[in-house]
Amino acid sequence: MVSHEFGAAAAWLVWIIPFAASLAMPAIAKWQLRPVGWAAIGAAALSAIMAASLLPGAISGSEVHDQTSWISAIGLEAGVLADPLAVIMANVVAWISLLIVIYSTGYMKGDPNIARFWFWMLFFIGSMQLIVLSDNLLQVFFGWEGVGLASYALIGFWYRDKKKDHVGQEGRRVLGMLDYYSPTHAGMKAFVMTKIGDVMMLAGMFLIFAFAGTFGFRELVADTAWATAMSAEGLLIPAAVLLFGGAVGKSSQFPLNEWLLEAMTGPTAVSALIHAATMVKAGVFLVARLGPLFFALGAAGILADQFFEIVAWVGAITALLLATQAIVNPEIKKVLAYSTGSQIGYMMMALGIAGLSEQFADGYTAGFFHLISHAMFKASLFMAAGSLLHIVGSRFMTDMGGLRRHLKKTYLFMWAAGLALMGAPFITTGFWSKDAVFAAVFESGSTWAMPIFAIAVITAIITAFYTTRMIGMVFFGPKSEHVKKREAAGHPIHEAPLSMWVPYGVLAAITIGLGIMGLAFEESLHDLFAEYLDGSFGIHAAHYTGDSVLPGFLSGLNPVALGASVAAFAGGIGLGYAFYIGRWVSPARIVNSNIVFYAIHKLFLNRWYINASIYWCFVVAPLWLARGVFRYFERTAIDYGMNTGFERAALWGAKVIQHTQTGVTQSYLYVFGAGLLFVALILLI
Amino acid sequence: MVDVFSTPIVVMMILGAVGMALPVINVLRREQGSNTFYAAIAFGALAAAIAFVLHQLAMGYVSATDVLSGDVIADDMLGSFFAIAMLIVAVFTTISSFSYMRGKKYPAVYYSLILLSTIGMVMVAYSNDLVVLFVAWELMSIPTYVLVGFNKRDPASNEAAIKYFMFGALASAVIIYAISIAYGLTGTTDIGGVIAGLGAIDASLVPLALLSGGLFIAGFGFKMGLVPFHMWLPDTYEGSPPPVAALLAAGTKKAGFAAAIRIVVIGMAALSIDWSLALAIIAVMTMTVGNVAAIMQKSISRMLAYSSIGHAGYILIGLAVAPYSASALPGTLLHVLNHAVMKGAAFVAIAGLVVALAATHIEKLRGLGRRMPITAIGITVSLLALAGVPPLNGFWSKLVLFGAAIDAGQEVFWGPWLAIAGVLNSALSLAYYGWIIRKMYFEDEAKAPRVHEPRAVVAVMLFSIAFIVGLGVYPEPAIEFARSAAPLVGIMP
Repeated sequence: MVSHEFGAAAAWLVWIIPFAASLAMPAIAKWQLRPVGWAAIGAAALSAIMAASLLPGAISGSEVHDQTSWISAIGLEAGVLADPLAVIMANVVAWISLLIVIYSTGYMKGDPNIARFWFWMLFFIGSMQLIVLSDNLLQVFFGWEGVGLASYALIGFWYRDKKKDHVGQEGRRVLGMLDYYSPTHAGMKAFVMTKIGDVMMLAGMFLIFAFAGTFGFRELVADTAWATAMSAEGLLIPAAVLLFGGAVGKSSQFPLNEWLLEAMTGPTAVSALIHAATMVKAGVFLVARLGPLFFALGAAGILADQFFEIVAWVGAITALLLATQAIVNPEIKKVLAYSTGSQIGYMMMALGIAGLSEQFADGYTAGFFHLISHAMFKASLFMAAGSLLHIVGSRFMTDMGGLRRHLKKTYLFMWAAGLALMGAPFITTGFWSKDAVFAAVFESGSTWAMPIFAIAVITAIITAFYTTRMIGMVFFGPKSEHVKKREAAGHPIHEAPLSMWVPYGVLAAITIGLGIMGLAFEESLHDLFAEYLDGSFGIHAAHYTGDSVLPGFLSGLNPVALGASVAAFAGGIGLGYAFYIGRWVSPARIVNSNIVFYAIHKLFLNRWYINASIYWCFVVAPLWLARGVFRYFERTAIDYGMNTGFERAALWGAKVIQHTQTGVTQSYLYVFGAGLLFVALILLI
Repeated sequence: MVDVFSTPIVVMMILGAVGMALPVINVLRREQGSNTFYAAIAFGALAAAIAFVLHQLAMGYVSATDVLSGDVIADDMLGSFFAIAMLIVAVFTTISSFSYMRGKKYPAVYYSLILLSTIGMVMVAYSNDLVVLFVAWELMSIPTYVLVGFNKRDPASNEAAIKYFMFGALASAVIIYAISIAYGLTGTTDIGGVIAGLGAIDASLVPLALLSGGLFIAGFGFKMGLVPFHMWLPDTYEGSPPPVAALLAAGTKKAGFAAAIRIVVIGMAALSIDWSLALAIIAVMTMTVGNVAAIMQKSISRMLAYSSIGHAGYILIGLAVAPYSASALPGTLLHVLNHAVMKGAAFVAIAGLVVALAATHIEKLRGLGRRMPITAIGITVSLLALAGVPPLNGFWSKLVLFGAAIDAGQEVFWGPWLAIAGVLNSALSLAYYGWIIRKMYFEDEAKAPRVHEPRAVVAVMLFSIAFIVGLGVYPEPAIEFARSAAPLVGIMP
């Protein structure tokens, strides 16, 4: 058993180490350029070890909560809260980040701005761990903004905006808006769009603070008088939804989902970090942090059902919306990005449905389990995709094709991780976690259970299909013209270096390895969370003990959910195989065969026209308005009226005082004497 | 009884022994130069003094602030707080003199005078008796008259010294007069005794007591740079060697506040007569005149001189509302400490400019961000902190001060107006701070070469940046220290 003091120190160090290392990076880089990567690996490893040292305590159900006075003038405390939720999350983040850092040493080799890269990568990891381990909302918000800042800097890392670093097809327009983005534009887009969520979150935070007088998670649970007061004013649900707004922005959920695609302009290692470990998982984590808090209010007779309904529906809509677009996109990283948004939708769906069900722990565990398994397979897929970009020199899958004979390792690992994304039955983590989500939705007893369940299953079919399509387009069929040209030019296709394929190989192996033991893992995670929810929030749970139609080890599972997930997998992969691996039918012929298919294809490819509409309403229109205000108001009223007026007044005052400062000592002394009289007079009156 | 091993005595002995020894060493070595040698000795003495004060604090040997204790010299938290602020400034002055005094004459005397003046400052903070206070006051002042005129071939330096001296003499006379009235009314020079005695005097004598208080305000106000006792200040700061200006602006100015807190503020509560409105009016006048006049200045040291007048106004807010808000005096102390570092760092940076560029005119700052990067960032950080931009330390002390003024609004109608005046002045001050920053970073002269930055200045800059940003992000230790050092004032009904 680890002592409490050590646990507290470790919980602080998990996020302080990456921050400290990131600050040290420029200095390290200045002295010696080569070992910078090693320093980054060292810091990430140290942080991961600190996180791991917290695990035994968390598994035994204990929690570390350490506070220190921050700014006592306004009653603020800083603290770390390492409960089972935070510790498991911290470990997922720390270990996956470590692998990505190792991968980056290969991927970013030779980049002239490597010190800047490492600075922001470590800053990113530190900010995420700050979110995970904080014990109060305000501190979370610091990490939250840190994550946003780091993502801005890393998405726009290649700020020279070279053509090869753009995303989208050059010159392509949707509704007159260019669908082709430079890294700097993409960084700004991500920053601004997530900032909308951040502002909502800030408002929600301060609303709660105004009633509760504290930001602390434990304090908010301990005394729920604030919730009663807010509920009486009708402000509880709005505050909760505002907080969720922060999660929507950060996790790229509908309607703030459009930044995630352009975020692909960053180096692929960054994409892997954003999608697997840091950025987008922050939103899910926030909901996992706050969900039990709002659910537990039910015991005091305050229902937050509307909040959970919004969470579940946002998740469901995002899951379907983004999955459909992944079907048609030709860029490998964008397919994976759509897939991330869609999978995060599953997590939100599960966390939302948890609050609508009697069995809170079921949905809660399902959502979080899906977060863990997605983190692993998506990190692996992204790193593999980065490797492909590196090898082929193009981001388009149409420029790949037939690579399976040359890239045996990447081929194998991509299948393994891809199968997890598709939810291949019984051997992948992705299957178990998705099945848990299905079961939680199906059994929830909510009025919305059936429509959401249907969306979940349809999304699963689509997921299996587009994953198969991706693998088929990259590894099967004939080699593309692009690859042939490269080979002719003396760039044979060969596997990426060791430091790159090992990290995604390891994760792919874990995905399968953990998948084989998936059910047992899920059971223990469920027990841990049930105990945690009971102990910390007083949410009692009983595991599902429905009719045992299924034999043996599957007896704990819901037969309908199980059947649906197996069928979805089979249907999706079957269709995908027919089009892209067996290549019995040409997809282009189907699309062009009739107007309905053509229209659907176009709708998906043009991103449901959401992105273009957002640009028209929130970029183009405000710019027109701003120009008008500038010309007709700023230039006249502000510039000629106020600014000049203030300036003149201040300068006039300065001149008056300057005139009194004559430099003549006698007059100075005279003023002193007059001042003395003045003071005496005020006192005597 | 005064304990021989109490903090003030030991600090006085360390600094005094070294200060007296420096000229003797000079005579024995029979040579003129070797500035570094004497600077190192002085630095060592000051470092030892700081270490000792910190050690006493850490070990808990320092008693809580109690003005009524009856000791001649009080080894208390209030004194220690000011002592630390002043010793930091003295260290700044010494370090920046490493480069400033290089090649100049009489270094041994120069450092000796700095040490002796520092003893005076520290003793003002610790003294609990009017006579001791006055002696310490003179010990602090007289060496600085010489230091201001240290460049004796420079007419500006001479003019600065003579103006400063004349005002100093006048102020000393005023203080003596105030002391003698107080003694005449109460028959004691012990500050606790005077305050207790003033509380019990006959009603017909109250005007005399008030006159004594007014004279104290004027006398201390001269050092603090309060309007209308400030006229000497811009001329003197501009004319004196920049390290000495740092000592004046960040150090001796604070001694005025230390003395005022002991006598004026606590006496105010005892007399139960409202002096605070007078202080409030002076505070508003001071900050407005300081900030408005600073706008037009073309010399950065003169601009900072006016800025320090402005800051005396902010600090005075705390004294004015002390009877009405418990956080007023902690705010005062916090701003004293922060201002000592911010303003000290800014003047040290100017010393660096004088050494490297031989200029303090604002136009010469063009492109400084590229020519002297560390000095420029040091100036930027300290100016932003002076303006009170979060998250730097100046923000917190202004927050506490203005918060106290708003708090006082429950008792006196003008409380919030003080805060409003403070905020408006802070906004105004950004105009000229921002101007300097703009010159340094946005108006570059392509041809000007990079300049060697004196290492001593770089060291002070790095320390100050760490201090300003560190206590900005995590202000808790400083707030806590200020709170524990602030004397309790009877809150007026």
